[in-house]
Amino acid sequence: MEGPHAPRAVPGFELVAPASVEEAIAALRAADDGGATAIAGGTDLLLDLDDGRLAPRRVVSLRRLPWRTLDWLDGALTVGATLPLRSLEDDREVRRRLPGLWQAVHAVGSVALRHRATLGGNLGRSAPASDLIPMLLALDAEVDLVGPRGERRVPVDDFVRASRRTALLPGELIRSVRVPEPRPSAYLWQRVRPANDISQIAVAVAFSPGRRHWSIAVAGMPPRPALLPDVARDLGDGAPSDAALTAAAARASRAVPITGDQRASEEYRRRLVGTLLTRAVRAVPFEGGRPL
Amino acid sequence: MSAASRSDLGVKLAGRAEYGVDAELPGMLWAALVPSPVAHGRLRRVDLGPARALPGVVAVGADDLATLLPRGAGDAERPIFPAGEVAYRHQPLAAVAAPTLAEARRAAAVVRVEVEPGPALIDLETAFPDWPGPDGARSPHVIAHVHARHGDVEGAFRTAEHVVEETYRTSSVHQVALEPHACVATVRGDRWTVRTTTQSPFGVREDLSLLLGVPESSVVVEGTWVGGGFGGKGASLLEPYALLLARAAGRPVRLALDYREEFELGRTTLPAVIRVATAVRDRRIVGRRVRLLLDVGASLPGRDFATGYSIGFLLGPYVTPTFEVEGYGIRTNKPPFGPHRAPFAPQCAFVAESHIEEVARVVGVDPVRFRAEHLWREGATTPLGQPVGPFGLAAALERADALARRWRSEAPAGHGVGVGLGFWSTSTGAGGEARLVLSATELRVEQGERGIGSGSVLRGLVAVAERALGLPADRIRIEYLSTAEAPFDSGVYGSRTVGALGRAIVEASDAVRADLAGRMAVAVADVSLAVEGEEIVVHAPGVRRTVRSLLRPDEASRGIVATGRHFAKPNAIDERRVVTGSFYPYTDFTGAAHVAEVSVDRETGAVRVERYAAFQDVGVAVDPATARAQVEGGIAMGLGIALTEEALWSADGRLLNPHLLDYRIPTLGEVPVPEVTFVEGFLGAGPFGAKGLGEPPIIPVPAAVAAAVRDASGAHVTELPLSAERVARTLKLL
Repeated sequence: MEGPHAPRAVPGFELVAPASVEEAIAALRAADDGGATAIAGGTDLLLDLDDGRLAPRRVVSLRRLPWRTLDWLDGALTVGATLPLRSLEDDREVRRRLPGLWQAVHAVGSVALRHRATLGGNLGRSAPASDLIPMLLALDAEVDLVGPRGERRVPVDDFVRASRRTALLPGELIRSVRVPEPRPSAYLWQRVRPANDISQIAVAVAFSPGRRHWSIAVAGMPPRPALLPDVARDLGDGAPSDAALTAAAARASRAVPITGDQRASEEYRRRLVGTLLTRAVRAVPFEGGRPL
Repeated sequence: MSAASRSDLGVKLAGRAEYGVDAELPGMLWAALVPSPVAHGRLRRVDLGPARALPGVVAVGADDLATLLPRGAGDAERPIFPAGEVAYRHQPLAAVAAPTLAEARRAAAVVRVEVEPGPALIDLETAFPDWPGPDGARSPHVIAHVHARHGDVEGAFRTAEHVVEETYRTSSVHQVALEPHACVATVRGDRWTVRTTTQSPFGVREDLSLLLGVPESSVVVEGTWVGGGFGGKGASLLEPYALLLARAAGRPVRLALDYREEFELGRTTLPAVIRVATAVRDRRIVGRRVRLLLDVGASLPGRDFATGYSIGFLLGPYVTPTFEVEGYGIRTNKPPFGPHRAPFAPQCAFVAESHIEEVARVVGVDPVRFRAEHLWREGATTPLGQPVGPFGLAAALERADALARRWRSEAPAGHGVGVGLGFWSTSTGAGGEARLVLSATELRVEQGERGIGSGSVLRGLVAVAERALGLPADRIRIEYLSTAEAPFDSGVYGSRTVGALGRAIVEASDAVRADLAGRMAVAVADVSLAVEGEEIVVHAPGVRRTVRSLLRPDEASRGIVATGRHFAKPNAIDERRVVTGSFYPYTDFTGAAHVAEVSVDRETGAVRVERYAAFQDVGVAVDPATARAQVEGGIAMGLGIALTEEALWSADGRLLNPHLLDYRIPTLGEVPVPEVTFVEGFLGAGPFGAKGLGEPPIIPVPAAVAAAVRDASGAHVTELPLSAERVARTLKLL
């Protein structure tokens, strides 16, 4: 017999805001296992504290680290982990060169939430219905990590494992996210309520002009958002034919490991995968077989 | 309305307004409730020992009532803590208080509760897998049974050209007031005082008197500012626990719910299944049948108000020569059913309107015309035999139809336009008294209840006094008093504030005038008031006197006191039509015709409301800006019921979405700015002919949206809310 929700009160904790990366890592390490947690925008951490899922003795704020950055270098975009999503959304180059990423950022929560929430925090939370992870997957993005044993770069696909589970090692922090190239792309979602809700299903699609291949990712099912390489292959190496698109949508709808829950039934989610995939691919502009 | 004209804005914008959740007293303890771990079962033991062993903790349970209450158990029918049957999950089994909230919650967590779980009835349809038979009312699950009929309904159905039968289902919705329930209690001697966020201080006083077994004169309720009520703060909820703890501790005790508890413990609208059937001959309705299964949660027998009350709203504002209606209140293991802005009426209007639309389509008549041809007009008779008074619904429908036709002609592909009606009656409650105090420089309205956010008190009542006495709003002040000092009034609910208490203010204003006329030896009709400089001045032909100069010495510090009363006795229903149970008589007739334009995604079923308009019968708009705000708020709330709001329960009685992420009220992005038109001139029972307006605007919303969804997509959805998945299923996409 499961008991009722226990009455709660958020326990106290020590809040530190180190000025350097080294100090931040040290502060995380100093509190032993699970005793410390990092905070960027805090939009997920506050819920975890309130619901009693986390009760850290120390919270390490990253607000003083110089990570609120957005840089384009040789066509690659690097976004600092603590940059508020609203800043990413307000960047014209992001909207022009990575339209799917802009749409995914725009889909997160609400304007107020996006002023606080960060890309690093979203990756660290690793929610099955994350708006950003499927798009980062479709863009072949990588995560730059820094920790006690130095720096390393991990593809998003390897970094994200399940809800609240990532490849982060103890004491390690997400420093930035790197998107290797501009890609024609699109992100579509379905929710009960458009704002301040999470998606029943979301589909991210991107086309790499250099490698001439599609990437398709779906979010909204456990354990995590996933790439669908077989479906991407169905779409060929350019603007797909209607038949190819129909086949891809049908395969996606069939193949995605979806379950039903109180937000939507499995049957409805499968239908949404096909519909949203079709619409997202059509939303990527092509002319004469080449992406615009 | 200028900002200055609402006297609460200053304290609210400065953050100085004390809401229930802000209320604190020196030396107070913080409290927490010990919830039932199961939805249904037999309580074996509540061991408060471990909690009491903690430093500074006070704990009370069923065993303590005999020593804490002067007459022992309090209300035997409604024990504050259950001693035998546990009726719903989270039902408070004990309460604890401690110096801090964290300590109180820890203490609540260590109370040992032993319950032998029993089978829980959660889904009301499992009570009667087949519809209740002739003995249905005798089922232990049925706590209320109502039945009425009139005319040869069997004959009407037998000889009909068309019979349309349908089944509808509606969902549980929550009020979602921003402020949760909260109070601070103090007990000194035989005086039980509670400062609380409530729509009805006198209602809470009466409730507490019964629950605690103490006279009303020993109970004092002080109302705080209310952060939204919407029906959820009309009766007592936390006050008995806080008072018991305060009594046991000998110190003030604060008890407040967090938002999750607010969802889990709040009393609100629960699900229903409704079967409706209509018989038509020569394009006229000749017979109606309605059968209702209403989930009333853990309501106690004799305390259900909703089953009989709902029936009229399910029939709709339509003339029918014969009918038979039957309703069953089904007791389930959920918190008891409670009021939510026009309790259950939006759901009933959704059923009534969607069904009449279906009937019209089957018969082959334009749905709006079919409605208009059957709509009550003044002089018609309701099914339960009440004469219909001045009623603006036909006029509202005519204008709504004209707008709907225009919108439909402009609508792009994929859009649809629908019209929905809803009717209501201004509640009189148990009546009320207004007290006015005219001093040399201002008019005070002394009362117990505060505004609940809608403006009905702070603008509505002030506007009534402005109009009745001819004084400007900035010289009229509402003074809030405890129930020990304020005149009795039923409270801010049932759309009655302006409609009922406003009448008492008019009567008190007349008394003020008469009093002044007497003092000046002039005719009452000749008296008028004005402000000159600081002073309030009374004018009559050839006479000008300041109020100051008219005050007797004993009045100098206070002013001239006058009272007025109001109780509108509803028209009786025709008891010959009642077989059993009690039905809801109407005091006046109000309502609205709403128009919704929606777009429907034909591949996903997703609905978006594009445009919205309301034609609202208000009698007279006493304060147009506040009246408009009431209509806009009702529409926003109604759109939630129509599209996204739905409390979900597990088979073992757990609320699955007790938080605002998965219980979805609309955000600004989902609510178009509505066009609001007042239909005036069909006068009601309120001051100057005003009709209540707190509840009517929410009622037609789900009906209008459903009609628009059907117009846009062909989907005739018979279940609320109209989620994308439900629309998709109805469109056979799944």
